[in-house]
This record gives sequence, C-alpha cells and structure tokens, in this order.
Amino acid sequence: MKRSSRLGLVAAAASLALALTACSGGAAAPTAGSGGSAADEPKTLTIWDYESDESAMGQAWAKAVEIFKAKHPDVTVKQEAQTFEQIQKNAKIVLTGDSVPDVMEYNKGNATAGQLAAQGLITPLTDAAKQYGWDTKLAGSLSTTAKYDDKGLMGSGEWYGVPNYGEFVGVYYNKDLFAKYNLQVPTTLAEFTAVMDAFKAKGVTPLATAGAEYPLGQLWYELVLANADRSFVDGYQLFKSDVDFHGTQLTAGTTALQDWISKGYIDKNVAALKAEDMGVSFIKGKYPMMVSGSWWFGRLATDMKADWGMFTFPGNKLHPGSSGNLWVIPTKAKAPTLAKEFIDITLSPEVQNVLAEKGGLPVAGDASVITDAKVKDLTTNFQSILDQDGLAFYPDWPVPGYYDVIVAQLQGLANGNKDVNATLDGLGKAYAEGKDDLLNG
Amino acid sequence: MTTTQAPTRRRRATWVPYLPYLIPGVIAFVVIIGYPLAMNVYYSLFRWKGGLAPMRFYGLGNYADLLADEAFWTSFRNSISMIIAMVIIPTLIGLVLAAVLFDYLGRRFGPRVASVLRATYYLPQILPVAVAGVVWNWILNAQDGAINVLLTGLGVADPPDWLGNPDLAMPSVMLVLIWVQVGYPVVIFMAALQRVDPELYEAAELDGAGWWDRLKAITLPQIRPETFVVALTCTVAALKVFAPVYVLTRGGPEGTTLVPSYYSFLNFFDKSKVGYGAAVATVLTIVIIVVAGVILGLQARSERREREGR
Repeated sequence: MKRSSRLGLVAAAASLALALTACSGGAAAPTAGSGGSAADEPKTLTIWDYESDESAMGQAWAKAVEIFKAKHPDVTVKQEAQTFEQIQKNAKIVLTGDSVPDVMEYNKGNATAGQLAAQGLITPLTDAAKQYGWDTKLAGSLSTTAKYDDKGLMGSGEWYGVPNYGEFVGVYYNKDLFAKYNLQVPTTLAEFTAVMDAFKAKGVTPLATAGAEYPLGQLWYELVLANADRSFVDGYQLFKSDVDFHGTQLTAGTTALQDWISKGYIDKNVAALKAEDMGVSFIKGKYPMMVSGSWWFGRLATDMKADWGMFTFPGNKLHPGSSGNLWVIPTKAKAPTLAKEFIDITLSPEVQNVLAEKGGLPVAGDASVITDAKVKDLTTNFQSILDQDGLAFYPDWPVPGYYDVIVAQLQGLANGNKDVNATLDGLGKAYAEGKDDLLNG
Repeated sequence: MTTTQAPTRRRRATWVPYLPYLIPGVIAFVVIIGYPLAMNVYYSLFRWKGGLAPMRFYGLGNYADLLADEAFWTSFRNSISMIIAMVIIPTLIGLVLAAVLFDYLGRRFGPRVASVLRATYYLPQILPVAVAGVVWNWILNAQDGAINVLLTGLGVADPPDWLGNPDLAMPSVMLVLIWVQVGYPVVIFMAALQRVDPELYEAAELDGAGWWDRLKAITLPQIRPETFVVALTCTVAALKVFAPVYVLTRGGPEGTTLVPSYYSFLNFFDKSKVGYGAAVATVLTIVIIVVAGVILGLQARSERREREGR
C-alpha cells in the first residue's frame, strides 16, 4: 500500500513533467510565416533531435546547422533538444497538432517510423530522394529502413526517412589476451572456432555474452546468418517469402549455438546476465571476446585498459546491423523544402566526415580522413559490410514483442532445458502469430 | 444558516449542503480511477495496436484467448508465490520481530534500541525498488555476485545461477520480496502493540505466563485488526506486483517469473496488443477486488465475533 501510493505519486509527477515539457516544446515551436509575405519562403527551420551534443551525431549535426545557416543567412534555425522517450511516446499526438517541427529525428523500423508513415503523419520523400540522389548514396540494405509501405512495413514503398549513420554487430577482442596465448585474428568460422578451442584449452571461456537481454539473440542471429543469404533475410525481416523455422538456416544456426554452449564457448550461467554484465566482464578482461554492436565502441574506448580491437564476425557476409535513426519531415511541417535541403546537408561530405572522425559510422563518409586507428578500423569494417550490402537488421525486428520471445527461448537453450527443435518451435510459433497480426490484424 | 430554516425542511437538508464538498473527491475518483477503469474494460473488447491504429471490435474474444494462454496462467500461478513472499512470510516474521522488539528488546535495552532496529527493518521499504533491485541483481549475479563469490571462496565448485535457473529464479525473487516487505508489518505491529494495555502483560506475567504464552494469549488477539490491514494491503500489493520483477528478471528466465502486471505491460507496450493487455489488466482488477472483498468479509466476521464474545 505504502509503496503503491508512492509509485503513484512518482508517476503523477513524471506525467506532469512530461506534460509541462510538451507544453513548452509546443509553445516554442510556432514556425515560419511569421512576418513577411506569407507565400514566400519560410523564415524559420525547426529541428528536433535527441542526440547528446557530445555524441558523434550531435557534433556532426551542429556542423550541418552551421553549413545551413551559411547558405541561408535570413533563416532562423531553431534546434530543439528532445529526449528519445519524449518523442517516442508523444510523436503520434504532437504530430497531429499544428506546432510541429520541420524536420525531426525518429527511430527506424516497423513499430516506429513505419507507424507514423502508415498513419500519414510524415511526408513521403521519394521525389526528394531522386532529386538529391539519396537513393544512390543510400543503397541496398541501408535504404530498407528508409522505405515503408502503406501498412508501415519497411523495405518497400515510398521513402519516408533518411539515415545519416549506421550500426553493426561484430566481434570485439582483447588484443592483450590474444597476444598472451599467441593467437591470430580469425577470418573464417573454422578459424574462429579454432581460436575459441585454444582459449578453452587454456581454461579461458572465450565469449562474453548475456542471456537476459539482446546479446545472446544477436549471437544466435550471427550463427543463423552464417548459413543464410539475402533472400532468407528478406523473408525473415520483410515477409517476402515464408520462413521455415525448421529449414536449413535456422536449424543450422540454432544447432551451432547449442554446440557452442555445450562446448563451453560461453559460460553456462548466462541466462540472467544483462548486456551491462557482459560489457563490464569484457572490459575487465575476464573474457577475450564479445560479440556485440558498434554502440559499445565509445564505452570501450574510454573504459578498457587492455588493448582491444574489433573484427567482423568471421566468414559472415551478412551481419546484424542497420542504418541509424532517420530524419523525417512531418506532414504538417511549414518549411518542408528547407527541411529537405537540411537533410541533404547532413549527407554532405563535410558532415559525414565529422561523423567518421568521431566514430559515428557515417553512411557516406570517407574513412581516409580518420586519424584514430580504432575509429578507422571500426569504420572500414562498416564500409566493408556496406560494400557487400551486408546489413541484416536485428533478430527481434520482424514482429512486435519478439524480443522477449527470443530472450526466453534462448534462455531455455542456454540452460539446457530446451533442445534445438523445441527452441525453434517456440520461436516459430510467436513469429507466425506476430506476422499474422501484422499482415491481417 | 440552517437555524433559520423550518424544522421539516431542515431534516431533509441535513445532507444536501454537504454535497458540494464531495465534488472534489468525486471528480478525482472519476478522473483517476473511474474513467481509466472504464476505458480499460472498453479497450479489452477490441483488437487494437494503440495510437491512431484502427480498433476492431472483438467482443469477449480477448478473454477467450486468455483462457488458452499458458503465459497468462503461469503469471497468475506466480501470484500465489508472490502472496507467500509478500504476505504470509513477512506477516509471520513481522509478528515475531515486533513482539521481540517490543516485549523483549524494548524492555531490556530501552525504547531507543527498539526504534533503531525497527527503522532498520523498515529501510528496504524506503529504498526505491529500482535501486534495491539493481543491488540485489549484483548480489545474485551468477558470475561475480556477492553470494557466489562467497560460495566459490568457501570451495563450492559450481555455485547456483540464482536468477538464471528457472527452478531457482522464483525462490530468489521471493527472497528479495520478503526482504523488501518485512519492515512494513513490523512497523504496523509495533504501533499496534503500543495500544495494548501493559496491565494485561503484567497480570499474565504474575500468573506465570511465558513469552510464548503472552504472544498467543494477548499479543495476537489484541492486534488482530492490524493483522487484517496488513494482510489486505500486502495481498493487493502482491497481486499487482510489478517493479521488483521488472528490475530483477523481466519475467524470465524462460518466462518462469512472469506476473500478471508485467504480462499486461508486455502486451501493452512491447507487443502493441493493447486490447489483450487490457483484458489481462481487467482480469487482474477483478481478482484483486474479489480477494480484497473476501479479506474484508473475514475481518468483519472476526470483529462481529469479538463483539459477541464480550
């Protein structure tokens, strides 16, 4: 009782704060058309984003604003910082009102940008994509998250968003431990398992992972992708064909993961560990390798004492990963033309190179401008994946709520309570239900 | 004002002038409880993804689906574990602790010591659940958690995976909940004991009653009303428990620590099945109302008996 009333109070305070900030955001937003002839070009460009100023994105976009201001000295640029939660929760409501930004950052994917697109809250950008050449700059798997059909499913239909940067999952490794045991960076799956066997023989568990959150699912997806091609990804992620959960790709991948578990490549008590536990134990040097995403890069760069590096998952042509968040233009934006121009500036070499130097994985950057060796490695790895059109998105993307299903099913596999068949049954059932819900619901 | 009115009118009007004073309460009730409750029931009749997505009428279909949903039944079965961990065990421990603090330690070492100890037991209730949960996560961490480091140090080769093993996760969560919960009955019971006439104890002591006899014959009957209050509030809290499960296990491993509130949340926000989540919430509300009604009924009966007995 005591606790619940306290929780209620906190919730009330939080919602009040949200409401207040939403109000002030709205009050500051009135854009364009203020003064001067109404038919003329608007005099204000309002930008909403939720990246911190210190992040690679924050610094790159500050550069973009600078360039934009130089080109349009008569336009006032209002850059308003939002929080991810605030935009995520309120976008659907705010964008139906009149105080909308001209261009805003939004999360990619069916459940987010896809919904706004399906509900007509953001503008199609297909013509602009052709006009500015975004469709050639952002080819293949990068543009998948930019396009949505009338149901809000990504991969086809009109362009609705433009990504600036990307992310991918690879293998971080502890160079000191590799040197200690005299091991080389593997380039094929066979070499990879040989390295892990070598560590295992010295009594070192080779891979850090975590079963209560995304890491184990991404490791599983890497192993599925080792046996898959683009048409499988199109089927699994975009529903272009039916996925057989007992087909070769998923069976081979899941069997491989079970094999890795039974061989002790990962610790057996990982089911309750969170991503943070994995990262911390890798940083401390307890494990020589960690399969995870580029979002760990900054953290490792500041926190890790041992020398470390990153390589792409050995042998894979496809990798978990995607474009980053999107620039979208609300349907009710008052300065859409200026907004499109701003988006184009964020894809210009100057801005993309700022992203590159800061480790922000630009979609159209030039790795040669990078001076930091680790950032260069990261970026060239990403470029090599892009060159092969190798982004395969994330395993939990296809249907809503699939994240928890993957976590629960793979916990069963890791704990040895489920065999490969039962795991695949569990994964397949939820997938089929979710897909049916999306397509017919 | 009423003195000038005729007696006949005055009788009718005794309660009417008070009505405006109810308005704030009624408004608050409607806005905070009535309207959301009604909307929740309404949503539970639809298939709906939330936001501006279309709502398709589904009748009682969501409830029919619930009957066949294994996760739903697991979550309600787990509510029984929650009641054990948040009501039964804390109440029993609380009774004993309160009696020991009040009757023994309080008298031996002075009320200061007793109130310091009482505050210590209550501390977990003051800590935000999120903070306590994170700390317990560290303690129970399978690889470098405090307990397992201790166990390995003592020579246990294969310490248990407290939150990761499906057989152990629920007992571990229950342990944390007992720790969180135990201070609440202690504080209530100690306050109740202040109210008990010390003469009863003195008389019993003169008659040669031991500590255990005094607990049974005086303490328990005297603080029965408080026991009902504790049982009621804790049972309601146990049925709708959310935060500890969210922080500790997210309903895992393998869905073994799923509870109704969290399952409803999962459907609302992660699966975007708003109608289905609303149906879970509605069922939970009904269960809570029924259980609370039963406890209140028992309390009323016990009070009646007590009055008749005297």
